[in-house]
Amino acid sequence: MNKKSFIIIASVITCAGLLWIILTPVLFPIHQAEVGPSAPHAGFPAPTFTLQTPDGSNISLGDYEGQPVLVFMWASWCSVCKATMPGLQQVYQSYQEDGFEILAVNATSQDNLVNALDYFQAQNYAFPMLLDQEGEVAKAYQLRALPTAILIRPDGLIHDVIIGSGLSQGYLTAALNHLLKGED
Amino acid sequence: MFPIIDLGPFAIQTSGLSLLISLVIGFWLTGKFALNLGTAGDVIENGIFYALLAGIAAARIGFFLQNPSLFTEAPLSLISIMPTMLEPGFGVLVGGLTAFIYAQKQQIPLWPTFDTLTPLMIFLYAGTHIADLAVGDNFGLPTTFPWGIRLWNEVRHPVQLYAILLVIILLTWLIVHTRGLKFTGFLRSGILFHVILASLGGITLLTRAFVAQKNLIGRIDIPQIIALIIMVIALAAIHTLNFKRRQRIEVMISLGSNQDPAQNLANAINEIKKKFRVRLASSQYRTESVKDGYPHAPFINQVIEIETALSFSELVAQLKQIERGLGRDSKDRTSIPIDLDIITYNRDVFTDKRHQIPDPDLQNYRYIAEPLAEIAPNFRHPANGRSIQKILTSIEDKSQVIKCAEVENGPEK
Repeated sequence: MNKKSFIIIASVITCAGLLWIILTPVLFPIHQAEVGPSAPHAGFPAPTFTLQTPDGSNISLGDYEGQPVLVFMWASWCSVCKATMPGLQQVYQSYQEDGFEILAVNATSQDNLVNALDYFQAQNYAFPMLLDQEGEVAKAYQLRALPTAILIRPDGLIHDVIIGSGLSQGYLTAALNHLLKGED
Repeated sequence: MFPIIDLGPFAIQTSGLSLLISLVIGFWLTGKFALNLGTAGDVIENGIFYALLAGIAAARIGFFLQNPSLFTEAPLSLISIMPTMLEPGFGVLVGGLTAFIYAQKQQIPLWPTFDTLTPLMIFLYAGTHIADLAVGDNFGLPTTFPWGIRLWNEVRHPVQLYAILLVIILLTWLIVHTRGLKFTGFLRSGILFHVILASLGGITLLTRAFVAQKNLIGRIDIPQIIALIIMVIALAAIHTLNFKRRQRIEVMISLGSNQDPAQNLANAINEIKKKFRVRLASSQYRTESVKDGYPHAPFINQVIEIETALSFSELVAQLKQIERGLGRDSKDRTSIPIDLDIITYNRDVFTDKRHQIPDPDLQNYRYIAEPLAEIAPNFRHPANGRSIQKILTSIEDKSQVIKCAEVENGPEK
């Protein structure tokens, strides 16, 4: 390839690239939906649910509008879940007065309810335990592994989904500091 | 999509796994490529390793610097092995800087090293898009095309697959062009890297159009602009590296003769002087014949440095003409009136139909390395950055190379 044909080809590529950038919003417009459909992924509205606590009262995700909420899905046979929860308890104590709420959703459809209750009550956790008896929350959040944690911003959009062991005290503290300051 | 793979009792995070696998394959192929290109494979592999370590540590420290309250609230998280709490930007910066400083200290040449890294670049690019596909990040816009995939409650463009498909085409081209990562072909050092960089920029520019979550200023997507800028810079670099007219290319030439060597070497240098400026000329060295096992008279060898504006193929033709003029018969392999070999051409690293530049014999035979060390004691191998002293100590050629009397004309000042 000689110099001249290279310059021609390079210029054509550059112009085509520029044209593509300009045409992108025309060819592929983004519909700025006011509130899009909910989905279990960062940036989407969190799927809503209402579940019973062991003492029979109902708790709904919608009750916590305007507050940061951590939905923590766990089971009593899940050792990583049980290793994570004491850390959550500590963060909960520090941030409860700022409106932070933890909903410990027990994957009851995949767990033994007696074992789950024994464990949860013995640990004296201050946040509520919810029973996902029919697996509806597991389905709505496309649960693949335990633990799965969904951190929801005060505006009801999902901030992050953490599968497995990544939900450390440090991570949660940092994320809450941002959410409570009103940052993304 | 499929963020978790269940393997018996283990649940493996697909995104981390695909990044790890692409890193390992890319690392392995880069190692193979280094071996074939003659670049500093061990230094490159160490550099990648140090850059990764420094990058990961810096990503964690960067996260703590962004969230200073963690130093008091959760100081132990600093050494947690969890793949969260990472600030990727800071990690990439420090990792890149680490690799750069290490490469500088080891004095390895920039462009041939970058060429060697092209398989790793391609695999990391593919790996991040496979990871995105696995966790459903960077998902596409809604579409009615039949190949749309259902993700986050919409039928969407499988944009990650578009990128993966295009990068597979790019990888196929790389493998075909380099004959299975054997050489860079006619692409002179650095050009292969910029071709790959421009292509990856182009793929990003193209596929970002289908991504739903944009980074907009006005109506323009910033990643597309960055991709275009990278592409234009890479194209400009290809232009400069390939077409810029170079007036003073320094070329090292090895001369050898085993038939009336005193006369033939002198004649050859006179012929060369008629056409080129000879900057430096080494003493003559008497060498036992080392190649191809034919019984022939001992050689006298010499290395000179010339200056030329000719292209490589033009220079080869000129030297061949001089060889023929002094009675060289290409069929006679025992009696050689004069042999002129190009050892290095500028600082370029490339392979054309017959020649590999720098000549691999430079690292294998004393009859080239010894005279070269005499005229250029600061010489470094253009592909792997090894100093001439290091080359001499690691040469396995045990033949004796004895310095003859000084060259009549003496080295030119």
